[in-house]
Amino acid sequence: MMARERIVIADGDADTAQIAEFEHDRRELIRRGLGLGGAVVAASSIPLLLSVRNAFAASGGDMEILQSAITLEGIAVLAYGVAIDSGLLSEDFTKVARRFRDHEQEHADALTTALTDLGGTPPAKPEIKDIDGVVKGIGTLKSQGDVANFAIELEMAAVAAYYEAHRKLNDAKLLQAGASIMANEAQHLVVLRQAVKRSPAPNAFETGKPQ
Amino acid sequence: MDVDSFLRDPHSRRRFFRMSGVSVAGGSAMFLAACGGDDTTSAPLGPDESDEADVEILNSALDLELMAVAAYKAGAARLTGSVLEAGKLFLEQEQEHADGLASAIKDAGGKPNRAKSAYDFPQLGSQNDVLRFAVDLENTAIAAYIDALPKLGKGDLRATAAAIVANEAEHVSVLLGALGEQQVPDAFVVGKAA
Repeated sequence: MMARERIVIADGDADTAQIAEFEHDRRELIRRGLGLGGAVVAASSIPLLLSVRNAFAASGGDMEILQSAITLEGIAVLAYGVAIDSGLLSEDFTKVARRFRDHEQEHADALTTALTDLGGTPPAKPEIKDIDGVVKGIGTLKSQGDVANFAIELEMAAVAAYYEAHRKLNDAKLLQAGASIMANEAQHLVVLRQAVKRSPAPNAFETGKPQ
Repeated sequence: MDVDSFLRDPHSRRRFFRMSGVSVAGGSAMFLAACGGDDTTSAPLGPDESDEADVEILNSALDLELMAVAAYKAGAARLTGSVLEAGKLFLEQEQEHADGLASAIKDAGGKPNRAKSAYDFPQLGSQNDVLRFAVDLENTAIAAYIDALPKLGKGDLRATAAAIVANEAEHVSVLLGALGEQQVPDAFVVGKAA
């Protein structure tokens, strides 16, 4: 089950039948009590990838991509906040989570400035319930390991979104900012993966998608 | 190519960035100005759609990847344990980048550059020497890719370049961790043009 890939089709179109099947399998796993295993968490990333893809696919412009990215960063800030307040983290891990939350906030702030410079309107601030739209199950985390695995899924989703954005963005500065943010999310992944004894850099091309 | 001078001598770096069409003086701001773009407008800067331009940029990146492969090979003798394992993994990944770039160059009708017969690396007397040198190399590559990225005409190539940047950034975090340093020092990874 671990090898199962997220179902996202290369051209940005999602195969709904496949997703329905995937969701069915996931529910089966949960029903059988496998809990928050890596595969289950991975499966839950589908909604975000689809929504991000759709947003990017639908938009011809940089501003829509920026709005999606700002929302995504805002959700990451909230998710790290939930993790910090969960009582599940050691002192050291709490420091890491605070640091990463600060980074996500810096990304959101920079992207918001870029958007307003372009004449765009920042999106509404996301709420806690919106985290589910990216990675489901933040309310069911039971250990520091669960939190790390959840954060890995979140960061992978962000990396995947920026990876896809590079096909669509036009503005040179935005492309460069996107790459430097994406690279920072990848660095978060290294620390999180090491925390749960996973390979820190499993793919030569870090696309945010499992191989 | 003399890596040490590449990292420390502005002329070598300038050559890379000139090849990739980006002026090194002033970095991306200069690039924007040179293109007549205004920092604050959304006017597309019109990536160069020509395959020839992509080939030049990709070959410059390939040179750096081939140098990184040689550097990890040269440094491996000084590494032990989990750091050696990481070094081997990174060597393989730099080779994967090089192979990917060579394919892209061929696809664009170009001829991939080859590795130099010899690289003049600095003295790497200890594991820490290797780690620091590797951090420098990775940061140089990150800066070069980020500078060159907007010049790539094809969306697929830009996405691939970004995926390579992210992997090089992962290498930096692992290397910094092995040095006992802060693994994620900044919210924005821009590398260092030496």
